[in-house]
Parts: sequence; C-alpha cells; structure tokens
Amino acid sequence: MNTVREPRRAPEPEKTKRTTPRHIGAWREHHAWSLSISWRRLASRPLGTLLTVAVMGVALALPLAFYLLLGNVERMGDALGRNQTISAFMKPGQNAAMAETAASALRGRPEVQEITVRTPKDGLAELAEVQGFSGALQSLDENPLPYVLSVQPKPNLSLEDATRLVESMKATPGVDMVQDTGAWRQRLDAIVGVGARATTMLALLLGIAALLVVGNTIRVDIQSRAEEIGVLLLIGASRPFVRRPYLYAGIWLGLLAGILAVVLAVAIELAMAGPVGRLAAAYDGSVQFGGLPGWLLLSVPVASAILGWLGARLVSARQIRRAAAG
Amino acid sequence: MIGFDLVSKRYEGDHQALTDVSFQVDAGEMAFVTGHSGAGKSTLLKLLAMIERPTNGVVTLDGQKLNTVRSSDIPRIRRKLGMVFQDHRLLLDRSVFANVELPLVIAGVSPAERARRVRAALEKVGLLSYEKQLPGTLSTGEQQRVGIARAIVAKPAVLIADEPTGNLDPQLAMEIMGLFAEFQAVGTAVLVASHDLMLIKRMKKRVVVLDHGKLIADVPATEVV
Repeated sequence: MNTVREPRRAPEPEKTKRTTPRHIGAWREHHAWSLSISWRRLASRPLGTLLTVAVMGVALALPLAFYLLLGNVERMGDALGRNQTISAFMKPGQNAAMAETAASALRGRPEVQEITVRTPKDGLAELAEVQGFSGALQSLDENPLPYVLSVQPKPNLSLEDATRLVESMKATPGVDMVQDTGAWRQRLDAIVGVGARATTMLALLLGIAALLVVGNTIRVDIQSRAEEIGVLLLIGASRPFVRRPYLYAGIWLGLLAGILAVVLAVAIELAMAGPVGRLAAAYDGSVQFGGLPGWLLLSVPVASAILGWLGARLVSARQIRRAAAG
Repeated sequence: MIGFDLVSKRYEGDHQALTDVSFQVDAGEMAFVTGHSGAGKSTLLKLLAMIERPTNGVVTLDGQKLNTVRSSDIPRIRRKLGMVFQDHRLLLDRSVFANVELPLVIAGVSPAERARRVRAALEKVGLLSYEKQLPGTLSTGEQQRVGIARAIVAKPAVLIADEPTGNLDPQLAMEIMGLFAEFQAVGTAVLVASHDLMLIKRMKKRVVVLDHGKLIADVPATEVV
C-alpha cells in the first residue's frame, strides 16, 4: 500500500473562467476526444461493430446491385435500337398516288415525326444488297414488293400513343399489314421504369432499415453505458458532451457500412462484367457493360454516414435521458 | 463559498429530509456533516451538486444562488465542484489516467495540459505509477484515491465528499481524510459527510450535526474534543 506523499505544490482554487468551455479551443478538444473515444469504443467490441456494419452494408449494396442491373438492361435496349420504325405494307397492286394519299392521311397525326414512302423499286434495291438475294431477285419477272410507308414516330412516345398510332395505321385505306418493330422497346422501357421505381423504393426502405440498425446499436450501447453516463453528468459533463461520442459512432458505422456496400457493389460489377462481355460479343460488340458511376460510389458512403448520424441522433437524446434518470 | 439559508427539502411521499438548515463554509475551510443515517447528510450534498433542488430556502455556491440556475446550466455549476463518492464511481473499463482526465476533457483542456495536470493530481494522491492500470486492479483505498484525484484535478473551488471512507479500514480512512485536509489548507472549501464520529474527532475540524433533517449542532474546529 502506498502512503500518501506530501504535495509538492498546492492547487489553487480555480475561478469560473476555466470551467466554461465556450471558446474554440475547448470545442476542438471536445470533438477530438469524442472522435477518438467513439472509435475506441467501436474497436473494443469488434464483433458487434462488424455485424452492424455487415448488416447495413449488405442492405445498402442491394439497391446498388439493382441499379447496376437496370442500367445494363437499359443500355442493352439502347444498343438494340433506340428508334423504332413502324412499317405499313400497302395492299398489292396499289400505285404511288394511293400510297401518297395514305401517307398524307397519317402525316397529320400528332404521334408522327416523319413518313417515308418506299417504292417497290426501293425495296428491291434494298433486298438486292442483302447477300445471297441478288441472284434470286434477278430471276423474278416482276417486282412482287408492295409500297411501304415507313413511319418514324415522335421520340419518347408512350406505349398507349404508339398502340393508337399502330391501330390508326391499320385502319388507313389501302394498308395491308402493319409491322411495329418498336413495341418490344416500349415494353422494355416500361419494365425498366417499373424496375427503377422499385429500386428507388427498395433503396428508401433499406436506407430506413440501415438507419434503424445503427439506431438500435447505439441504443444498446448507451443502455450498457448508463453508469458511465451517470458519472459523466455528475462530474459536470453537459448532455451534448455525453451524446457526442455516440453521434460519432453512428457516423463511423454508417461510413464503414457505406464503404462495404460500395465494395460489394463493385464485386458484383466485376462478377457481371464477364458474362455481359460475352453477351456483347454476341451482339457484334454494340452492347457495352456499364459500371456504377463514380459519383454514386462516392456518395453512397457519404449518404450512409449521414444515415448513421441520423440513426444515432434519433435514439441518443432519449436514451441518455433515461440512462441519466436510472 | 458554500451557503445554506433556511433550506428545507421534502421528498415525494411527505418524507421531510431537511428542515430550515442554515450554515456557511468559507473558502479554505473544512467541515464535516454528521448524523445518523437518514439524518439528511446525503440530501445536503445532493442539493449542492444540484442532483436535487430544495423545497424551500436558498443554497449558494461560489456566490451563486442555485435556486435560479436553469437545468441547462447545471453542468457548469457541477464543474465548480469536486465530488468524491463512497463507491468512488470510477469507469472500470478505462485506465486510472483516463478516469482522472475526464473533468479536464469536459473543461476542454488541451491534451498536453491534461497530461501534466493528471500526473500532478495522481502524484498528490500517491498513485503516479498506477496511471496505466485499470481501476479494477487497485485496492479499495487506492480506488478511492483515484476518485479524489479525479475530484481535484480541475482545481475546483469546492470539494464535497459523501462517506468517502465508508468502505475503508481506520488507517486508510485517516489517510484519505488527511488528503482532504491538505486541499483545505490551500484554499479549497471542503465539506465531508461522514457518520464515523471517531474519525471526525481525530481530524479536529468543524462539525455540523444533523438529526432528522434539523441542524442540531455546529461545533467549531477549536471546540472539537
């Protein structure tokens, strides 16, 4: 047992100026301390921290993966043809004047951007360019091809408008049949639209889940430190001072989870790059794999850190009040 | 430095803890508050630390009337006090150094200055070589001295202690009381609640006696026998 030594120097009673941390220096010291203590607390419970980060990270990676998938489906659609053309084949035996009349009737429609009338001669010339056909065509006595109205609809036409256009074309006198090469594209756009909305909703829900995960972790942490909080308040700590390390812990957890989510998303991207590359080769290289944009990869950890801070904020004031009372 | 002016405290359920208690403790003065358990010693200290508020009367600390202090200002008031508890209230998952450092962190003192003052405080209580240890590895008496180092590290104007020697044998208790007397000697107002009359008599300091919440005797140091 140590004996109490004589003091070398006597402490002077301190006046109040030293005890009010209202200046910048004290503010900086408080934050530096909160930052390091929050980090050390997380590091002192590595498994709990890891689990929280993993749950959050996976939850946030999921919408990123969907985003990646949708982006690539859209690109594939683009590569296969952004602009649809609707072809109306005239009945056999119609002449140029009749085709022109039908074209004029359709030109007035609001859905139409442009109509080109292709004569049977044009059609034959086109076919002749396709390898292997030229010989067969030369053996024909007369041109069997009809007049074709090539209708270019206005861009970004809705599925309903496009359907209405196709119906009206079918109803145009002299038209034999209508071939809509773009219907699949509109359906794809609609599906991608549904997917994008679903991804947004999913991102929102999983964002809330991530916030709650942090909130709960912080809540349990504060609960387990009720005694410490009581001591801190007794020796003159303000509630914001007591609360600050928990807010930092929320930010750390969010940031780590955001980084994990980005790492997972990039891993998914790399795993997808191979198969998509092979698919691209099958389409003469016109499809290119689209990765996640840089701004997104940067903003996910930032947004996640904000979520973590928010989660900690939501629970900490109340929990600290309860801890202080208990 | 410490003032009680006709202070009464009634808890919910009609328990009258203090009735019209009046006394002052000046800077550089040390006083014991004694009495049987339930006499109101702890309540008295709780009013000073603003853990409780009086039902009637005025408590003053360092010239400030505590009745008018808003809840948000309580931390500022508590930073004027050094508090020592019977069960020392140390954080067991942090080193002795980190425990003693806390009031300085709260006051916003820089790390270098903190280290200097923590070591000075630990040296004063004779535990300088223990700074890296966890409080759980220390004896009860050593833990109490760490608690005292934490209470005085920010050089408060007032030091209050609630049964600081309650868990200690007489020899250790005397050592701890000797420490308090040293702080008194350098100008700190010291108020110690204790029911250990033998110890109090040996210290030869002023004694305020409470009985059922009433102040029944205020014996000056010179008259303690």
